Amino acid sequence: MLEMLKEAFRSISANKLRTALSMVGIIIGVAAVIAVVSVAEGTSQSIKQNLSAIGSNLIMISPGFTRGGGGRISTSLSDLLTKDDAQKIQQLCPSVVYVTPMQQGNFLVQYERQNTMTTVLAVYPQVFNMMNLNLQEGEYFTQEDENSRRRVAVIGKEIADMLFPDGDAVGKTIRITSQSIRQNYKIIGVLEKSGTLLFLNPDRSILVPFSAAENRLFRRSYVSSIIAQAYSEEVAPQAVSEIDAILYSKFQNEDKYRIVSQEAMLQTINQTMSLLSFMLGSIAGISLLVGGIGIMNIMLVTVTERTREIGVRKAVGANRRHILTQFLLESVILTLVAGVIGVGVGILLSRTIALIGSIQTAVTPIVILIAVSVSIAVGVFFGVFPAMKAAKLNPVEALRYE
Amino acid sequence: MEIINVENVRKTYRMGDNIVKAVDGVTLNVFGGEYLIIMGPSGSGKTTLMHLMGCLDKPDSGEIYLAGKCVSKLNDRDLARVRNKMIGFVFQQFNLLPRLTALENVELPMIYAGVPRAIRHKRAKEVLTMVGLRDRMEHKPTQLSGGQMQRVAIARALANQPQIILADEPTGNLDSKSGEEILKIFSDLHSDGLTIIVVTHDLEVAANGQRVIHMRDGRIVSQEVRTSVRNA
Ligand SMILES: Nc1ncnc2c1ncn2[C@@H]1O[C@H](COP(=O)(O)OP(=O)(O)OP(=O)(O)O)[C@@H](O)[C@H]1O
Ligand SMILES: [Mg+2]
Repeated sequence: MLEMLKEAFRSISANKLRTALSMVGIIIGVAAVIAVVSVAEGTSQSIKQNLSAIGSNLIMISPGFTRGGGGRISTSLSDLLTKDDAQKIQQLCPSVVYVTPMQQGNFLVQYERQNTMTTVLAVYPQVFNMMNLNLQEGEYFTQEDENSRRRVAVIGKEIADMLFPDGDAVGKTIRITSQSIRQNYKIIGVLEKSGTLLFLNPDRSILVPFSAAENRLFRRSYVSSIIAQAYSEEVAPQAVSEIDAILYSKFQNEDKYRIVSQEAMLQTINQTMSLLSFMLGSIAGISLLVGGIGIMNIMLVTVTERTREIGVRKAVGANRRHILTQFLLESVILTLVAGVIGVGVGILLSRTIALIGSIQTAVTPIVILIAVSVSIAVGVFFGVFPAMKAAKLNPVEALRYE
Repeated sequence: MEIINVENVRKTYRMGDNIVKAVDGVTLNVFGGEYLIIMGPSGSGKTTLMHLMGCLDKPDSGEIYLAGKCVSKLNDRDLARVRNKMIGFVFQQFNLLPRLTALENVELPMIYAGVPRAIRHKRAKEVLTMVGLRDRMEHKPTQLSGGQMQRVAIARALANQPQIILADEPTGNLDSKSGEEILKIFSDLHSDGLTIIVVTHDLEVAANGQRVIHMRDGRIVSQEVRTSVRNA
């Protein structure tokens, strides 16, 4: 066996240029698989990090889109989510620990000469706890602020940097404008940078007490969404069904609202990402196939070229198995070496993509393992036919071959 | 003791509509330790007969016995083993593997026999020394003369200590001096008790044998016995 390995290496290195060319297909294939999967994997990892950073066991409740209405949001009040629904959930769902209604809208925000369009979120103070929002300076608004409709605001880091390039945001008063309505809010806190959390970007948001903004800024009695938090992961599914029971008794139509738990969202993302990476991986796998055909081609040429050698080997005592093993080893070594080079190239490629695209990529050991095993499999699969052809050669005819 | 029995063996080749009876009902007994010469015009079936005796090919009909064992029905593995252990081939075109050194060429049959590396090395050096190539062991075939290549081929044929040497026009590609050296080796091997079968066109080569058979159109047409081998 060792002799055969030595032999295989020797005959592969006998024709270096040809060997290298025949490996190119596999190298490209493997590198493409590694790069593609690393991008998919990296993206999915960063989404998951975001999702888990946002606090755990959250449940989003949003209005559904009624069928037949051209997908437009319904305008009849009895069909919409309201603050009262949030309060009902808080009171009636034993598995739910916190609930906040949320109003979300884009407004012009000004401080002296600086202004920017940004998202204003009107929420209960529990939101800080629920979503793991940490302060960089100042303080959160409290239940007391909520109760007395105090016009205070906690702002995201990017907003703070934009409106207050010199720092010192806390204590300043900003003006939020919506068409003809203007309201002044006093900044009492600045949040730490958090990155995008799910569907929100706290870095670019201004959070204000729900009561302060609901009638003046938003002027509507329905809310954008409701966020609830279950006591624990175990009771999260139960919390979902409790909320569902309450909302169904109100709407009598499950199309009018949507309840999505964080877990379900994670699952969906996972599924989507693995489907995506499977699809892209398959496309890259096709080039592996093409590479394999290249290997088969070169092995067939090799067998033909070495017909006489095969005859001699048989004359001195090689049986079919010996010949089969010899040529199979050669093709597997070819694809294995190509696979390893491909992994190297793929890792480089994935690093480069991460640098240029400034996205996260991740090459997991599993992917490397799979890529290398697939290379070996390609070597076996596409090497078997030429090797069988060699093994089956009639020794007399092989010896006659010129 | 007979070491090879060929019994009414036929081998036919088909080339399109042409049917060539390469070996056409040959019966031949070879004695252990005999030095046999096969002669005959080109195309008379000498090489085909030799391949059949050497288990490189199977007859269409008839039986071949090697040391009393019927080889016509052996499977690929067992045939390979017979070729490996019992027979040594020497070809007109030497048939050395060009990428291997003389030493490695000689080791080849021992690799297939599963001989451990150290023993293999020792034995290969031994046989190469025996054929007078002690100082050419690391040479590739292209760095050797025709006579030297044929001596490497003989060393390879001897590596697994076979009982029979089958040589198909071993001197056909050599000058007369190299040819004589090869014949000297064969004579020595014969004295050591090996069975030697040589196919040749050359009467001088034939003069070394104990018995000469003549073939024509796939049949044995005559034989002359020079020395009695029955009692040898
Ligand atoms: N593989 C083959 N296919 C077709 N015909 C073959 C094949 N091998 C041998 N023959 C034919 O069988 C006949 C005997 O061939 P063989 O090689 O045994 O002759 P030979 O006596 O060795 O001749 P030479 O002295 O030229 O070597 C020839 O007519 C040859 O053409
Ligand atoms: Mg011949």
